[in-house]
Amino acid sequence: MPSARVVKNRTEFEGKIYEELALVQGADIPAWSADAELRHVGRSRLRVDGPQRVSGRARYTTDLMLPGMLHARVVRSPHPHARVIRVDAKRALALAGVRSVVDRTSAPELFDEEVHYVGAPVAVVVGETEEIAADAAHLVEIEYESLPFVVDLEEAIADRTRVQRKESYSRGDARRGFREADIVVDARYTTSTQLHNCLEPHGAVAQWDGERLTLWESTQAMFDVRKGVAKAIRARLDDVRVICDYMGGGFGSKLGHGHYSEIAAVLAKRLGRPIRCVMDRREENLVTGNRSATVQRVRVGATKDGKLTALEHVAWSGTGTEDGWVASTTGPSNGLYEVANVRSEQFLVLTNTGPFSAFRAPGYVEGTFALESAMDELADKLALDPLALRRKNYAKLDPQSGKHYSLKRLDQCYSRGAELAGWSRRKAGGTAGRHAYLRRGMGVSTQVWGGGGGPPAYATIHLNADGTAIVRAGLQDIGSGTKTAIAQIAAEELSLPLERVRLSIGETDAPYGPASGGSMTTASLGPAVRLAAVDVRRQLLEVAAGLMEVRASEIHLTDGHAVAGRGGKKLALDEVFSKLQNYTVIGRGSRHPNPEDVRLRSFGAHFAEVEVDIRTGAVRVLKIVAVHQIGRIVNPLNAKSQVEGGVTQALGYAVSEGRVLDRLSGHVMNANLEDYKIPTVKDVPDIVVEFVPDLDRRANNLGGIGLGEPPIIPTAAAIANAVANACGARVRTLPITPARVLEALRR
Amino acid sequence: MKSFSYAKVATAEEAAGLLKQRNTRLIAGGTDLLGLMKERLIEPDRLVDVNGIAQLRGITATKENFRVGALTTLAELAAHQATPLIIKEALADAATPQLRNMATVGGNLVQRNRCWYFRSAEHRCWLKGGPRCLAVDGDNRYHAIYGEGECRQVTPSDLAPALIALDATVVMRTDEGEDSLPLAQLYVAPTARHRREHAVGDDDLILAVRIGGDALRRHATYLKFMERATWQFAVVSVAASARLVEGRAQDVRIVAGAVANIPWRVKAAEDLLAGEKIDDARALAVAERFVRDARPLRDNAYKVAVLRELVRRAVLRLKD
Amino acid sequence: MPEYRGPGPTPIKLDVNGESRLLLAEPRRTLLDALRYDLGLTGAKKVCDRGDCGACTVLVEGVAEYACLTLAVACECKHVETIEGGGADVEALQQAFLAHDAYQCGFCTPGQIMALAALLRRDGQAGEEQVKTAVAGNLCRCGAYPNIVTAGVAASRAKTSAKAK
Repeated sequence: MPSARVVKNRTEFEGKIYEELALVQGADIPAWSADAELRHVGRSRLRVDGPQRVSGRARYTTDLMLPGMLHARVVRSPHPHARVIRVDAKRALALAGVRSVVDRTSAPELFDEEVHYVGAPVAVVVGETEEIAADAAHLVEIEYESLPFVVDLEEAIADRTRVQRKESYSRGDARRGFREADIVVDARYTTSTQLHNCLEPHGAVAQWDGERLTLWESTQAMFDVRKGVAKAIRARLDDVRVICDYMGGGFGSKLGHGHYSEIAAVLAKRLGRPIRCVMDRREENLVTGNRSATVQRVRVGATKDGKLTALEHVAWSGTGTEDGWVASTTGPSNGLYEVANVRSEQFLVLTNTGPFSAFRAPGYVEGTFALESAMDELADKLALDPLALRRKNYAKLDPQSGKHYSLKRLDQCYSRGAELAGWSRRKAGGTAGRHAYLRRGMGVSTQVWGGGGGPPAYATIHLNADGTAIVRAGLQDIGSGTKTAIAQIAAEELSLPLERVRLSIGETDAPYGPASGGSMTTASLGPAVRLAAVDVRRQLLEVAAGLMEVRASEIHLTDGHAVAGRGGKKLALDEVFSKLQNYTVIGRGSRHPNPEDVRLRSFGAHFAEVEVDIRTGAVRVLKIVAVHQIGRIVNPLNAKSQVEGGVTQALGYAVSEGRVLDRLSGHVMNANLEDYKIPTVKDVPDIVVEFVPDLDRRANNLGGIGLGEPPIIPTAAAIANAVANACGARVRTLPITPARVLEALRR
Repeated sequence: MKSFSYAKVATAEEAAGLLKQRNTRLIAGGTDLLGLMKERLIEPDRLVDVNGIAQLRGITATKENFRVGALTTLAELAAHQATPLIIKEALADAATPQLRNMATVGGNLVQRNRCWYFRSAEHRCWLKGGPRCLAVDGDNRYHAIYGEGECRQVTPSDLAPALIALDATVVMRTDEGEDSLPLAQLYVAPTARHRREHAVGDDDLILAVRIGGDALRRHATYLKFMERATWQFAVVSVAASARLVEGRAQDVRIVAGAVANIPWRVKAAEDLLAGEKIDDARALAVAERFVRDARPLRDNAYKVAVLRELVRRAVLRLKD
Repeated sequence: MPEYRGPGPTPIKLDVNGESRLLLAEPRRTLLDALRYDLGLTGAKKVCDRGDCGACTVLVEGVAEYACLTLAVACECKHVETIEGGGADVEALQQAFLAHDAYQCGFCTPGQIMALAALLRRDGQAGEEQVKTAVAGNLCRCGAYPNIVTAGVAASRAKTSAKAK
């Protein structure tokens, strides 16, 4: 057995660096070399869970129908801020089929006396059917005492009691840097609240067996759900089993347990029946998280020839009622460019709106829009090509740590992207469209992100007597294709066809696995799976060596055979297996720490081409070129899809999505998929995806890091820059609506 | 959705009989009705399903008369070979394919508006009996830019402006028997006593919509402005029609949707075009005149610019 | 005079995927809830429940409709098809979706496939524009749209070339 030891590790998650202790076993192995002949890794493979997902057979949390299952419906506050005086459930309880109504007096662990946003929970009704629960929820009478509230971000920023400084960063002397500047851009950018609207709603189904709880939950982080729920209901970890077989999108909003998880767990125990608590679409838009709206001020100073002398970025992010953390909006400014003098501040601003949560590259999406818009404004003033300005301030070393990057090929992203986009066609002032009122333009923007992953992550692989393998890991697949990537890695190292590797994932009785977030799932778990497979192979070779009467070090696995030396003895693995019969070969692997001396980051560049109707303000995005560098791509087919998806979400963020709040009532007016406009199939432009082929061999034993979030980061700024190029309208507010384009054109 | 009783009827007479009962609503395509019921904006005790009334289905087309039964779906209307081009244009971007398969012509004409204050069960707006219109001081980016009334909702239908541009008439069965009136007259800005977007009562039955031969021969076009490529109710729409006599426009109709409580016409703008050749300058003048009396709210001045441009382009398209 | 049914549970006979199914439900039960809760057919998904997203798309009399805006009781005597029912068009689309990676989380996928199945049945040969229009009422939050279009066109092509043979 390999010995276990505790190591220190630095992991970057959602734009922040965490230093943690982790338990690892054995020793790591080097990444596959560039010329390694790999049969699975790096090749396009169809998703291993595809047949389930396209046939309707995949059972998502919301599809679970347990015998005797009851339905919980939450009664929510119509007030943005109020005290709950009285809850009268008499009429609700009188309705046939209603099993329970609980509020603060009967379930103090579930509710607060004060509600701080429209949609905050006040009571829960449990009924035999969804319809009955909804009827009863309507009959619960609640008396409130209204309290003062603010839902508008700008209004809240003006109120000191609602603003907290959460992060600040500086290097050099920004003041001096601005004194040295020939040109200064000083601009204010604002972004709207983006709502996740994962199609599968948040929700949980709870069932108790004595003291043991099974919780099916639509989540990106089963182990965090287990921890959170166990703590909330004061249970032991082994008494809570969380299951998530299939998951219908999370995008950051399902990284922990929800109030619904607690409702289901607590009430299922009380009532002795399984309980389903699943959000409806309105609840999805009110209470399950969002990307913070921001107000940002960016100042960039540069010399006449375009060398940055100073950069200052101050961001205010509306976190709703979340007062614990805030996303790092200033992260891109702190770390993207080589500039000696930087100062940034990140403020959290409380409003009476639903709490924010992580949303695919939280902070970096908002911050990159501001920073990369400002860079283009600077290029305009300097009469420099925007790409040239970026190249001029290219950081070869990580500007924050002074360390080398494990891999940085941003320059290749720029040059290949420019080629694919036809950047040489770009003209200052844009080009003409088919009509006099149509203008075309191009824009570029840069992406930087973490996603290196790290420990802890563990996997075991069981090799069966028929030569099939089962990979067991605490992994959930949220639609990103991780499951397929993991199967490819295992198949590669085991020299097995993909269809002989089965995954046993989706529940917490497995070894710990990371959250599906922070672009780190494959980069965290993949190396552990590879080591588990190596462990299996080592044992298998020992067995084969025994049977072949040679030393294990003299044979290798190839094509389902153990081969001794060059052209030596050959033994079919099936023969080995048949000798093993009911024995199980068990391989174990754990994720080892990241290298200390380099910074792991991914880079990319997006190029947008747009057409603007200068009479109506309509913006049509024609093309997005996305070139990314993450090192090894495990599955090019899924990776391309991942990028197209990120670009599409970014497109919505850039031109059509934004929560609408009514300042007078504090309500979200577009809490539905009619008025909250995510892109449709007809909105999606031509998306060209390419990856820099170089491997990131220092990062981990796969040679690559994560891709989940990078593709959503730079798009909005690229589009805004293209709009400005097309028609001179610099829109500093997202989304770039026709109204805003027309307003900018008037300026 | 509150529970209700349900009956299917086979004839208009049966429907008329049942619809006299209190709190009874008819259901055809159901795409608007069920949405309203799910939000509990209306809570009927009884639904009368009229889909079985065969005489309300189908399209009859001759050179002089185009008649669409009220139960014809939007998809059926869009697919029919005799359907005027402007109607096809209006339906191409109306809602989604599934909704067009379900929604009926009759239902489309009397659907309730999409104002988010009206659609929110937790807001008591003027149209729902409240003291004032919440859009006036609220978020009114999609609201009316014309009209003096209390309510700032706008007409959602793509079909209505196109049909009015063709002088369509609607055939109804009311208490007084069968009645035929110009479609435009169906739309009346809500008043304190009649807080509704149209003059159709809950117990009235729309039987059909008719377009006469003169209108069928007009040049006509429909333009719709949305903020995403598809699946949005019109931010602004414009239907225009005219007869061209030796290159000069006659019988001009310009009807804007989503800009006022009712499909909106500006007679003075139409008159500017009547008897004139259509060219760039004329189109622009007509468009300028059309929007001259617009009174946008805080958030929707852009709709005036969009409307001006849509009118201009629609007028120019009449040439073709 | 016709008789009212409900408001309480009433027997409803549905023809789903070629099988006659009997259930007891209130008239207010939508076709979507009837499929999911009463018949255990959970392929059609409840995402918006307002006819805004297309995840509940099924075929009623061969036409794509939103099951969330359809009453189960109104579907008596009509032929309802769901993703579970299969059939040549559905299976061809499923193969094309797999081959072209036309899904990520898969939650909208049954609705996308049913919307396209209606198209394939109606217009044998569908190009990119028809495919886009057919799924214009089916939202995909993962953004699998480019591949959905490719898969739809491929399935349509496969069907016409199979016919030609």
